[in-house]
Amino acid sequence: MSTPPAQTVAVRTRGVDMFFGDGETKVTALKQADFEANRGELIMLVGPSGCGKTTLLSVIAGTLTPQTGTVEVFGQRLDGLSQEELTAFRRKHLGFVFQSFNLIPTLSVLENVMVPLLIQGASHDVAVTKALAMLAKVGLKGREYGQPNALSGGQQQRVAIARALVHEPSLLICDEPTSALDKDTGAQIMQMVRDLSRSPERCVVVVTHDHRIFRFADRIAEMEDGRIRRVVEDAGLLDTNHL
Amino acid sequence: MYRLALNMLFGDRAKLAMLLCGLAFSALLMAQQTSVFFGIMSWTYTPVYNIRAPIWVSDPMVEQANDAKPMRDTDLYRVRSVDGVAWAAPLHTSFLQARMQDGNFKLITMVGIDADTFAGAPAVLSQGLIEDLRLPNTVIVDEWGAQLMGRVTKGADGKEVVIPLKVGDTFEVNDLEARIVGICKVRRAFTGGPFVYTTYDRTKQYTLGARRTLSFMLVEPQPGVDPAKLCARIEADTGLKAWTSDTVIWSWSDRSLARNTFWWFWKNTGIPFSFGTAVALGLFVGIAVSGQTFYSFVLENLKYFAAIKAMGAGMGVIARMLLVQAFTAGLLGFGLGVGMAQAIGRAMIEKGMPPFIMFPQIFWATLALVLGISLVSAIIGIIKVSRVDAATVFRG
Repeated sequence: MSTPPAQTVAVRTRGVDMFFGDGETKVTALKQADFEANRGELIMLVGPSGCGKTTLLSVIAGTLTPQTGTVEVFGQRLDGLSQEELTAFRRKHLGFVFQSFNLIPTLSVLENVMVPLLIQGASHDVAVTKALAMLAKVGLKGREYGQPNALSGGQQQRVAIARALVHEPSLLICDEPTSALDKDTGAQIMQMVRDLSRSPERCVVVVTHDHRIFRFADRIAEMEDGRIRRVVEDAGLLDTNHL
Repeated sequence: MYRLALNMLFGDRAKLAMLLCGLAFSALLMAQQTSVFFGIMSWTYTPVYNIRAPIWVSDPMVEQANDAKPMRDTDLYRVRSVDGVAWAAPLHTSFLQARMQDGNFKLITMVGIDADTFAGAPAVLSQGLIEDLRLPNTVIVDEWGAQLMGRVTKGADGKEVVIPLKVGDTFEVNDLEARIVGICKVRRAFTGGPFVYTTYDRTKQYTLGARRTLSFMLVEPQPGVDPAKLCARIEADTGLKAWTSDTVIWSWSDRSLARNTFWWFWKNTGIPFSFGTAVALGLFVGIAVSGQTFYSFVLENLKYFAAIKAMGAGMGVIARMLLVQAFTAGLLGFGLGVGMAQAIGRAMIEKGMPPFIMFPQIFWATLALVLGISLVSAIIGIIKVSRVDAATVFRG
């Protein structure tokens, strides 16, 4: 992998090792994983189950701390931060879109989108204003006060995207964002995510098995046995049979 | 975040209902049982409450107000001679059988009061005049007694109806006529028997000429004399026992006859254990049901709490969210439970039994215990959430 200028790099990991358990039960999830994502880029992490995609995503998101190696996100080294500092970093700079949406069913759509802002300490009124604007941006105007369970899968994922972006994070982490969606809805969602990634202050990292959405990626990093095997710009170069 | 925490709580109505049921039941059981306990215990010192005298003097072996050990009439003169005593009046109390017009017998508490001063007479008469007690063979019966000793007949609908005793009715005590000249309002006794007031001298007739009938002496201190100090002087001068009559449970002194009666029943009966068991049961049921339900609520929301953690919420924020949820449920459950306890208490008071006294301290203690239950529930939830790794949100 060629090294882009430092000011264009959004995410960089170097020599990251991550293992769970010890002795006979030791499982190595990442082995000297080197990864880079650029600003304004939508990059996908692909690979067979168990190759370490989710672990690498967790390391980048600061929810897991690697045993060795360095992790840098928008110029901030994460590998030396305490749990409190990592929590604060996530609060400010990261947005999450989860595979199963993780929308709180007992809260309204609007309240779900307000959550990151309230975690940041925004006032209730400011959070309402920003969440309403974000919901309008993802095409959910008029659905703000309904419950998430009353929405279709695609609409729920839009709510999740609105929630991930409402506090204007630098790094958007998407974990299998289309696995619960049909082809057309998945394409709509990915188009939206791709459009949102087009900012020099933002980067989108998507973990997916869904080869139908590979075309939305600027680059695709293929993982195997805990390492980045190769990075391609054209999805056609991937052998999707073993992904 | 706290508003959202409350919306999460109120959004899961089934869990909330279960949680409130557990907390309300717990609060109800603790408040209602404690109030009935203090109500029953307040009946134990009813004689002191009904007979308002600053000082009571008794045989030195007497331990409580229902325990009369008769003294000699001459003891009255000894007490009257103690420096600081304004006046002293005799008082007789005994348990006797009253024979009703229909031949039935009823247990009564006969109270003999001084005919000259009427010291110890009931404060409120709903029928009759206290002075009529000076007429031959006359008594005053309390309202409970008038009802209990009333004549049972069948009404127009065939159901049994009690016609209460009234002024002019008669019954017999040890084959001597007792004619009712008044109906009084007094607090009921722990022993259950109604109070029948007559004059001290006449009690000698009703008790078939018992050699000693002086159960207690009621003493008024001279102006400016401290009752507690006068008690000590009476004891020193006469060898008898003197008590103060303060009945306010939270401020009574060591010399209080009411206090000693209360604690005598506490130590010598199973009442505190019985009610204490019910209160403990309420507490344990509250902890078990509320703790389990809240834990279940936390488990169901665990992945959302994990997501909130991943989004950057510290454990402090999440702990406060859980505390807000638990304490809100606790306050609502407390309100429901104590409200129900009050409603039951009012119904009890209207029926006259069992007695029900909810002191402010019971209210606050129940609130503290219910909030304690909520705190335990919240801590269980906080421990569970604190052990959840934020990275779990990426594992499907």
